[in-house]
Amino acid sequence: MTTEPDAPAGEKSSGKPQRSLATRLVFVAALWSTIALALAGVFLVSLYQSASERAFDAQLKIHIKALISEMIETGSNADSDVANQAVKAPAYRGDPRFSLPLSGWYWTVRRASSPSILYASESLVGDPLNTPPIADRESSASFITGPTGDEVRVLQQRISIGDEAYVIAVGAATAGFWADIAEFSRMVTLTLCIVGLGLILAIFLQVRFGLKPLTRLRASLSAVRLGEAERIDEALPGEIAPLAVELNALIVSNKEIVERARTHVGNLAHGLKTPLSVISNEARASEGPLAEKVAEQSAIMSTQIQHHLERARMAAQRRVIGVSCETEPVLARLIRAMGKIYQDKGIKVAFDQAGDLRFRGESQDLEEMSGNLIDNACKWAASRVDVGVVRKSDQATNREMFALTVEDDGPGLSPEQRAEAVKRGRRLDETVPGTGLGLSIVADLAALYGGTLQLDSSALGGLKATLVLPALTPE
Amino acid sequence: MRILVVEDDSDLNRQLVSALEEAGYVVDSASDGEEGHFLGDTEPYDAVVLDLGLPTLDGLSVLENWRRDGRTMPVLILTARDRWSDKVAGIDAGADDYVAKPFHMEEVLARVRALVRRAAGHASNELTSGSVRLDLRAGRVTVDGSPIKLTSHEYRLLSYLLHHQGKVISRTELTEHLYDQDFDRDSNTVEVFVGRLRKKIGSDMIETIRGLGYRLGAASDD
Repeated sequence: MTTEPDAPAGEKSSGKPQRSLATRLVFVAALWSTIALALAGVFLVSLYQSASERAFDAQLKIHIKALISEMIETGSNADSDVANQAVKAPAYRGDPRFSLPLSGWYWTVRRASSPSILYASESLVGDPLNTPPIADRESSASFITGPTGDEVRVLQQRISIGDEAYVIAVGAATAGFWADIAEFSRMVTLTLCIVGLGLILAIFLQVRFGLKPLTRLRASLSAVRLGEAERIDEALPGEIAPLAVELNALIVSNKEIVERARTHVGNLAHGLKTPLSVISNEARASEGPLAEKVAEQSAIMSTQIQHHLERARMAAQRRVIGVSCETEPVLARLIRAMGKIYQDKGIKVAFDQAGDLRFRGESQDLEEMSGNLIDNACKWAASRVDVGVVRKSDQATNREMFALTVEDDGPGLSPEQRAEAVKRGRRLDETVPGTGLGLSIVADLAALYGGTLQLDSSALGGLKATLVLPALTPE
Repeated sequence: MRILVVEDDSDLNRQLVSALEEAGYVVDSASDGEEGHFLGDTEPYDAVVLDLGLPTLDGLSVLENWRRDGRTMPVLILTARDRWSDKVAGIDAGADDYVAKPFHMEEVLARVRALVRRAAGHASNELTSGSVRLDLRAGRVTVDGSPIKLTSHEYRLLSYLLHHQGKVISRTELTEHLYDQDFDRDSNTVEVFVGRLRKKIGSDMIETIRGLGYRLGAASDD
């Protein structure tokens, strides 16, 4: 999960960064789970409440029935006229709380035609029970304020005994009932919270597990970009495997485009340089002012072509994705070639590299840079050229680098000449090649890779060139 | 000394041939890879100037084929692709040196001279035997310090014998290296030139080994 410190600012995506996939998934899943659990909680509590109310009312109904049966108890005078049946004053104590003063449990009996109470439970101790009017209905259930100011649930029932209609009301304080509901709500809330947290954790784990292939894809892509792998691992789930395949195709096409550009540059070089050789040799072999002019101008053309070809090549060379090469075989090959080219001079080229090292870039570019340096050294050396490679870390950027040093025992350069030789990106009009060492090309190429070229004087007596280039991080 | 030039650009080919001929070499030329490969494979050359970008068969393949078939003559490659990777690929394929285009003819002549000299085992551009001294760079011959004038055939003969001094050189070998491919090999002109050369540099310099050929200088081990 590291970001590249050297990523150019222009390559960063524009606009606000989008929320991560994992956050989106977890957020949405958590949101709907919370809503679902909350709805379930509300539903459960209301279900419990209505069930409790029904049970409460059922209890009150039993008391009403008991009261009625006590009022019309006619056991002794069974043969008397039912119409003239007298109502017996009930002394109902079906529950001890009807006897306790202001216990919260009350009953009253009144005539339907009059609001004044005929009989009442002992618990009322003479206070009235403010029942709402029942009107013409058979029964009603309602909440009222009891004599002590508490909420009381009251059930009223109309009955007719003889010619008279009575209204019987039984009430009970709801304090315990609501406490029950509240307790139940608390339990439900607690349970659902625990379930919710568990769910969110499960969602989080599921998302992480589900998105793992994406993380793998990203790591694989990053490895390709850093040159640690040549292509993306395509062993991925069906949904994103095509993406990896497409990316691999893109990498291949990127390589092909660069390769084609390079071939074009090569063809252009070949196409121009051969006729230029002909013109300049023809002119040099002839005499007269025309021949002189042609020779002079063809020399200028030659320098210009060389200059532009180098720039074009470098432009084509910029960052092929996912390329690296071992330094040792490239340098060994070069040194072998130099040995053949400079065999007349009898120069000894010593090569020393500690351990395996990979250059994070094109082998052709490493060959070009080190080739120029070693060629220069061989050209100027008296008898000895030392080539060395060591790994080093760049403290400033924390990147893995390596240093290639090329030293010779030739005449060397003065500090001013050294400064001039590595000046990067020489301007076009300065067609006169400074020292003729081609070192500015090396410096330019090294800079493309985020490296440097430094010239010092060598302990051997001549020039010491140090090329610092990015290395592949060791496994 | 016989040189093969393989270059597809007719102007450059002509320039190379005439410059080499002026420098005292016998030159054959080819304008495509297949022809070049055939000549190099069948004729004994002392050096080859080989362009890498050739039609029909590219220069690198021509060179690889020669080396695979045991052809060891020194080869100078001409290349417009002057990246080190191209040069190293050429050297790895068996080239002995390279010249990047565009080049000056003097450069090519100097490299060819060095290759021929090196192949014969000489370190210096001056070949001497007794009182005879040949300056390869200037193409000048002196005997006891005084310059002598040689025709181009005589110069080639002396140069070849000096490059291989101490060795017995057969008449066939001389003919092969002193004349181009169109020359009538059966003629006995070699003997005529040896006779003329003896008159100019001293009759004891070139020894006739009966039935074998000629030798210049003391016998060498090989």
